[in-house]
Amino acid sequence: MNNLWTDFGYISLNHVGEQLCGDRVEIIGDNENSMTMVLADGLGSGVKANILSTLTSKIICTMMANGMPIEECVDTIVKTLPVCSVRKVAYSTFTIIRITNNSVAEIIQFDNPNVILLRGGKSVEYPIISRVIEGKTILESKISLQLHDVFIAMSDGAIYAGVGKSMNFGWQRENIIEFAERVYDDTLSAKLISSLIVDECNKLYEGEPGDDTTVAAVRIRERAPVNLLFGPPADPKDCTKMMTLFFSKEGKKIVCGGTTSKIAADYLHEPITTSLDYGSDPDIPPVGHVKGIDLVTEGVITMSRVVQYAKEFLNNSDLQNMWSLQTDGASLIAQMLFEYATDINFFVGKAINPAHQNPDLPITFGIKIQIVHELTDCLEKMGKQVKVSYF
Amino acid sequence: MNICVCVGSSCHLKGSYNIIALMKSAIAEHQLEDKVNLCAAFCLGKCSTVGVNIKIDDEIVTGVTPENFNQVFEEKVLGGLAK
Repeated sequence: MNNLWTDFGYISLNHVGEQLCGDRVEIIGDNENSMTMVLADGLGSGVKANILSTLTSKIICTMMANGMPIEECVDTIVKTLPVCSVRKVAYSTFTIIRITNNSVAEIIQFDNPNVILLRGGKSVEYPIISRVIEGKTILESKISLQLHDVFIAMSDGAIYAGVGKSMNFGWQRENIIEFAERVYDDTLSAKLISSLIVDECNKLYEGEPGDDTTVAAVRIRERAPVNLLFGPPADPKDCTKMMTLFFSKEGKKIVCGGTTSKIAADYLHEPITTSLDYGSDPDIPPVGHVKGIDLVTEGVITMSRVVQYAKEFLNNSDLQNMWSLQTDGASLIAQMLFEYATDINFFVGKAINPAHQNPDLPITFGIKIQIVHELTDCLEKMGKQVKVSYF
Repeated sequence: MNICVCVGSSCHLKGSYNIIALMKSAIAEHQLEDKVNLCAAFCLGKCSTVGVNIKIDDEIVTGVTPENFNQVFEEKVLGGLAK
């Protein structure tokens, strides 16, 4: 195992007037071993295209993840896809990117625009071997990974953006490369890279995409652990044990909860200063500061908001994430967990706050545990490695 | 004089934001900026059913609402400073 991590992200625009997208991205696997991402673009747009691309991506993902050879996957796709009654063909283009042990990338492409590889922020050529399977020309590549490699896959909607509107021939793959190189920065997440390109396509389409447009990015980055302490331990005798374990962990530290931060501050022999500044959002209590802790916030209200942001993020509908710009406690946690972190360790204390044991208060012990469950679930869907320990 | 307004979960839900705003304007109105240090605090451990808790030096005043704010301010802050 090396110290690298694979970050996936994608975003789609629907053909104007369609509620369903004809492009589909599926991601399967776990970062420790192998991850497979498939981008499929079904023929046409709307329901038919959606069914074709969903079947294609799901079938390929499942088969590849189970170690089946590419020939069998393609064969299965060809034999399974329903035939379009209008066009008499069953057709969905696809791009497969498989990352093994965060050290090797295999790319298999069929009829989508070629994957762009940015190495150190500059586009580089990579070897491509073409072969014919079931009458279809498949392009295959195998690449050794380096830190900060970025692979950008797209559906053809991306390179047709602007046709007949702001440009005569759309913006070509070369223009997308230029654009990607220009905006590139080591810190951009895969999702943000995809969003930037798709936003630009949407602009060229003047807000009315003439084709489903999807950009999916895969980025190789360093692992970044984040540890989050939430609630005091059920038995006060376990405080020291919990703090020792928490503070001995490598990586950033977040402490959530008033009482919890007092315990942590006492352990560090440092004072807590609480800010009066509500940032941009008066619904979220202000953050505090303790030397030695990266972020100190209030507990359940802040974390409930983080869960809400996580769900919106996964829904993929937010082109502009509120939290990525705001400075309140919940937004700061979201930035650290969704963008920065690769490995997240939750230290959850099961203590019941006696001050909250009042039926008139909308805060209960149950909410805290539920928040942890929901957030863990969301973070795992984002491809993070999450560990939860209860005290 | 130190005044800490609780911004813990429970007080936050009962309007810490408003109490902080009222406190800021009351301090400005009476020109007490030099005499009073306003800050926020996490849970003071006295969560009640109504209103926000504030700590004035070492005394915790519970249940402060926009309705009784002026009374609390006169009695505890102006009264305390007069001593």
